[in-house]
Amino acid sequence: MTQTAPAPSQTQAPSPSAPPRPSKLWPTVFAIAAGAVVLVATAGLDIAWSELPELPGQVWHYLVLMFASPDWERLPRALFETWRSISMAWIGAILCVIVSIPLGMLAAKGVGPAWLRTGLRGIFAVLRAVPEVIVALVLLTVTGLTPFTGALALGIAGIGTQGKWVYETIESVQEGASEAVRAAGGSTAAVTRWALWPAAAPSLLSFALYRFEINIRTSAVLGLVGAGGIGSMLSNYTNYRQWDTVGMLLIVVVVATMIIDAISGRIRRRIMEGAKVRDLARSL
Amino acid sequence: MTTRELVVPPRPGNRIRNSLIIAAFVAFTVATCIPAIGGIELDVASIARNWRNGADKMLQLMQPNFEFLPRTWAPMLETLQMALVGAVGAAIVSIPLTLWAARPTNPNSFTRHVVRTIVNINRAVPDLVFATVLVAMVGVGALPGVITLFLFNIGIIVKLVSEAIDSADHGYMEAGRAAGGTQLKINRVTALPQSLPLFANQWLYSLELNVRISAILGIVGAGGIGRLLDERRAFYAYADVSIIILEILVVVILIEILSNLLRRRLV
Repeated sequence: MTQTAPAPSQTQAPSPSAPPRPSKLWPTVFAIAAGAVVLVATAGLDIAWSELPELPGQVWHYLVLMFASPDWERLPRALFETWRSISMAWIGAILCVIVSIPLGMLAAKGVGPAWLRTGLRGIFAVLRAVPEVIVALVLLTVTGLTPFTGALALGIAGIGTQGKWVYETIESVQEGASEAVRAAGGSTAAVTRWALWPAAAPSLLSFALYRFEINIRTSAVLGLVGAGGIGSMLSNYTNYRQWDTVGMLLIVVVVATMIIDAISGRIRRRIMEGAKVRDLARSL
Repeated sequence: MTTRELVVPPRPGNRIRNSLIIAAFVAFTVATCIPAIGGIELDVASIARNWRNGADKMLQLMQPNFEFLPRTWAPMLETLQMALVGAVGAAIVSIPLTLWAARPTNPNSFTRHVVRTIVNINRAVPDLVFATVLVAMVGVGALPGVITLFLFNIGIIVKLVSEAIDSADHGYMEAGRAAGGTQLKINRVTALPQSLPLFANQWLYSLELNVRISAILGIVGAGGIGRLLDERRAFYAYADVSIIILEILVVVILIEILSNLLRRRLV
């Protein structure tokens, strides 16, 4: 048998030719299709695009009306309503966390039975899709147009997402500790108490505070449908076109939200990083 | 050899500190329940009294009116269009803003802080508040909805991605600097391709959120299916409300599945 093709020599380095570029056909087709969809969607929207150039001027006009000289006369009332919104958010967060931690734990793999897990996850998925406003509208008929309704709505509507975070956190806990408890003869309850809970608690607490931060934003939304709080006040003065008061209210909303975010964010970081330091000390 | 007595180390933890934390928690919770200073009244008795009303309404909501479905197509399409246009607009604008707001890609601390402050202020305004004010400014319709979603998405994307870039390792950027690139070139050739999966992830996430939010934006007049929802609710047509909620549910789940598929391919 004779060699027809020259064998690649072992001593000589192969010429540094780049490998062939991968085919870009499908990504290109996909990009063009996506672009077409976006263009069609943009064109299909009922917006007078020709008036768009006037928009910045219009917005600027209103911004001047709102923030050139905000009306501070109603500040006490605004602070009162802000505290009402914060209260709704806080009570709602507590309700949500109290319900979603046990339910979320039952929905985690390896804790609850399979039928319960599937059922709970289904409930969480449905709750995630229902807007808070809808929950509030159903609750209105029970508890009336009160901030308590707002708190309940926040509590119930948040369970969907919070429960999902809980079971994802529990499932991401490492197996070692659970196995140790099970090997020592612990029941599922013991595994949950002594292996899963200590490992997941910092994250769960952090998520609970995060729920409070989210609720602060959502409580303003519930105010718009009449549950009270800063959202109701804002919506009223927007309808009256009292722009100087609207400007003041917007400033109050932004400042209050940023202060709460900052405090809550600090506490969350402390919870998570404190946990890390303790882990380190234990392993040393 | 003598047996040594086993000394159990003292339990870690600071009792005073822990009780202070609990006291602060209880004090805050009590303060949120005082109606006189703006807290809320926990009116549990009204639940016991009126729970039938809510049960009735739930029962009505359990009987969706499927004949109403054809009338929901057009508003639902508008909702999806608003969601998509808002997300795409935000995706385009988010790239330069994010690179401006992250430390490794923008060493100039002044411009970095300006961008971060603007984004933080933007994030502190709830979405429906934006929508309410914008509807009053530019009129009822899809435009205030799209602008609201756009602003909302920018806040999320810029914050999350710039923080992710901040906390990542940056050997590749050092390589770019060593090769003598300017900051712009380094960002373009190293930081951008490296963080593109992060961006893609947030873009898809913001699209998911948009479908959910634009479903309710209509309540304040910002277009989409929410307007129909609010209208039927005002007529107490709960069978129609229920079919709209059901439709939102299906669309949200479909979008979630689609974006998970795309995410698996992109990231």
